[in-house]
Amino acid sequence: MLSVLIFGPVLAGLAVFLLRDGRQAKTLALVLAALMVGWMGVVLRRFDVTAPGMQLTEFVPWLPNLGLNYHLGCDGLSVSLLALNSIITWIVVYSTPAAVVRPRLYYGLVLWISGGLAGAFAAQNALLFVLFYELQLIPVYFLIAIWGGPRKGYAASKFLLYTAVSGILLLGGVLALGWLSGRANFDYGAMRATVAGLPVAVQGTLLLTLLLAFGIKTPLVPLHTWLPDAYVEASPPVAVLLGGILAKLGTYGLVRFGVQLFPELWVQVSPVLALWGTAGVLFGALAAIAQKDIKRMVAYSSIGHMGYVMLGCATATPLSLVGAIAQMVSHGLILAILFHLVGVIEAKVGTRELDVLNGLMNPVRGLPTVSSLLVLGGMASAGIPGMMGFVAEFLVFQGSYQVFPLQTLLCVLGTGLTAVYFVILLNRTCFGRLDNRTAYYPPVWASEKIPAFVLAGLILFLGLQPHWLVQWSEQTAQNLALTTVAVASPVAQL
Amino acid sequence: MTTATLEPRTKLPPSQHELAEIVHRLEAGGAMVPDTPENLMQIVGIWYAYAVPMDFYWRDLLYIAEQVFLNPLAFRKFFISEEYLNRHNHYAGDDADLRIWRGEATAHPELLKFIRQGETRPMPRWLHHLWHDRINMEFAEECMRAMLWHRGMGGQFDPYLDSEEYKQNADRAIRAYFRGNPLMLGLYRLFPEMFLEQCRQASYYANLGLFWEVMAPVFFEIHDRYLEGSITTVKDAMNFIVKGIFAVAGRPIYHHVYIRGECYEIIPKSKGFMWLYEAALPYVEAVFYRTSPFRGTKSYNAQAGMVPDKQEDFHYGVLYADKFPVGTAGIPPTLLAQDMFHFLPDYLRDYYRKHCRGEADILVQLAISFQRSMYCVTSAVFHALREALLYPLDDPNPRHLLANRRFFEAQLDRFCRPEYGIRDAARIRHIQTADYR
Repeated sequence: MLSVLIFGPVLAGLAVFLLRDGRQAKTLALVLAALMVGWMGVVLRRFDVTAPGMQLTEFVPWLPNLGLNYHLGCDGLSVSLLALNSIITWIVVYSTPAAVVRPRLYYGLVLWISGGLAGAFAAQNALLFVLFYELQLIPVYFLIAIWGGPRKGYAASKFLLYTAVSGILLLGGVLALGWLSGRANFDYGAMRATVAGLPVAVQGTLLLTLLLAFGIKTPLVPLHTWLPDAYVEASPPVAVLLGGILAKLGTYGLVRFGVQLFPELWVQVSPVLALWGTAGVLFGALAAIAQKDIKRMVAYSSIGHMGYVMLGCATATPLSLVGAIAQMVSHGLILAILFHLVGVIEAKVGTRELDVLNGLMNPVRGLPTVSSLLVLGGMASAGIPGMMGFVAEFLVFQGSYQVFPLQTLLCVLGTGLTAVYFVILLNRTCFGRLDNRTAYYPPVWASEKIPAFVLAGLILFLGLQPHWLVQWSEQTAQNLALTTVAVASPVAQL
Repeated sequence: MTTATLEPRTKLPPSQHELAEIVHRLEAGGAMVPDTPENLMQIVGIWYAYAVPMDFYWRDLLYIAEQVFLNPLAFRKFFISEEYLNRHNHYAGDDADLRIWRGEATAHPELLKFIRQGETRPMPRWLHHLWHDRINMEFAEECMRAMLWHRGMGGQFDPYLDSEEYKQNADRAIRAYFRGNPLMLGLYRLFPEMFLEQCRQASYYANLGLFWEVMAPVFFEIHDRYLEGSITTVKDAMNFIVKGIFAVAGRPIYHHVYIRGECYEIIPKSKGFMWLYEAALPYVEAVFYRTSPFRGTKSYNAQAGMVPDKQEDFHYGVLYADKFPVGTAGIPPTLLAQDMFHFLPDYLRDYYRKHCRGEADILVQLAISFQRSMYCVTSAVFHALREALLYPLDDPNPRHLLANRRFFEAQLDRFCRPEYGIRDAARIRHIQTADYR
């Protein structure tokens, strides 16, 4: 069942790539991406939210001597991200302009990345995970380097270097774990048993290696410097892919490898990790405030929001983990709508500069629908109640406060700063006076609005009905939790 | 009287004014708007679209001034009577005092058709009114209020409103109007100035109504001549207005009120107030240049010095206006744009469809055409004043030509003042290019 989510997009990508007529590439990719969304619906239907452990498992021995088996399965964490992957892939395909150059290669790469991501999220074998993790690298490099902005070469190379280092660190850490166990078994369960028997110093070294690997991918401050360039230089749909789902590989790894494999050590270092997350929140927000380019501002906001995930993971209470997983999904959807809308604005207005943009809410010559949706996206990102951003952040804070009150309060301050930069962005971009002399922007077509409407609908629906957001991960969070704090569980009441 | 020749026998050195190109164009008898076929089509077409609702404006303004007068519950003031719809324009039809337009003297056929069925379908008039499927008299009232509020713009009409004679005339009319109404008469005794001010407003209703009674046939005739091919340049169109201004300059401006069949002359024709000086020039000053900052178009902070201290420095008129509505902003100009939209000639509608967002922003496009056309009307006023006060454009005396130049430059200086952002607000630089839409 899960294999379809992996090989479906991979084969779809191949089919698109082999098309004779490039003009049909988008249609085919869109249909196949929609089919994957439908299949994901089937997976969600089969997923039992009350069952602990992995579900829908698949096991095929592959290279047993190396410990590499085709072992898939999903828990609440995986299934949430698999669903996000399906939706974001469809959004990326849909929102790509029809006139994109080399469409067969483009859509093929997007679908291969989607399949690879599904493989990483579903893998129950660390080597298999590494394989899928590394598979993303080259397609994403091409997506930035071929279809990116003016500095695409620089941004793509930087991305390649950083994530290659991340991959090497991850591979090194996983192989070291396997070798230390003395037997070739890289299944997560077996690795957990191996870690438990290792000296603390060795565990610390391995955890640090993995933290650096996933810290680069997420990214966490100060390992983030590839992100602004990659997000800004990537075309808007690719930025949606990068921020919406690809970065979640890092946060997924933090939970799957950090919390799950190193529980004892994780509890010991959690104050530092919480502080790390808090620093990311504050840095991301303050850096975003200083930006003049709205795409870069959104990119830095992403760094800040990853800090909440880190805080939730560091705390590792059931509630904070539910919040962290919810934040991954929430951030994916909110970042997707923001990048998509920023892309539309850039395409219509011809600039992303805050000092130039003005008055886009103008009902006649502006981009009123886009502006309204941007306001919604900004509000969701700032954690305004009624939208899914609020649900995720509230759960993280509620789950973390009793364990790390200071860090939590600083992160709450960070949400205030998020509101500050979004107010700056919205005030300068959407409000004010449209210049009577220069504002001859082309209209925004319905097809350009549909991805944003879909995302906005999800953001609102999951904000008003958060049960649909958190029910998948509650049982998983309960199992993964390292700290039990006596707090009323708002999850049940949501 | 000739208005211009392109080649004066005596030449002056080039103007050093920052709008020198426009100064030279004016000296050559042209308008502030570049003389291109595209501009001519926009200007003439929009004048036609403006003239049809204007044919309603002037009738209703006179109806309010003469019949509604001080009715405190004037709910039906926009429901003009048949008598006023059939009222003969003095400058159109067979019985005209001076036939400017060769069409009918009664309300324009397109206007009558629109009043009957609007853009929707035939309904009772009050339903059309509530549905805003109607002529928006609010725009006309806003222009009238601009003239009333910016009093003191020269002429004799305005000072007369403060004279004892006017007060006595108004007093007679007010007492007659409220005869048998002890409540209103009691209020009048308590607050006489309030009633007097309402009476002054009614006098401005009459003033503006009489002004537009002339302009509607002028615009209709220009459009007809454009279609016939006898007006082929912006200069032709402008000169037609200049000729019209001189032809009707002496038309009396008055205010009569009809109460129970009896006429009360609040401002009698015998006062000799002339159309050019008491209506046309104050109208241009108040509506083209000044008006007032419409709420929401832009944030105006009077305490921060963003609104001029003196009313004569106000610069919110059509020559400066931002044509982009923002939220509830710019309501009166937006309503005018809606009115003109109903009567756009097909060729102009097709033209707008080809530019910017086509149908979606046609109101903005036509409002900008209107702005161009009003620069053309203002140019006509410049030439009319120059002809009345100064020298012919082909005058052989260089000192006379220099005086003309000083006059034109002084007029254009109004668009160059840096105070309060007047220079940036003026659209004169924008209308020089076709891509300002």
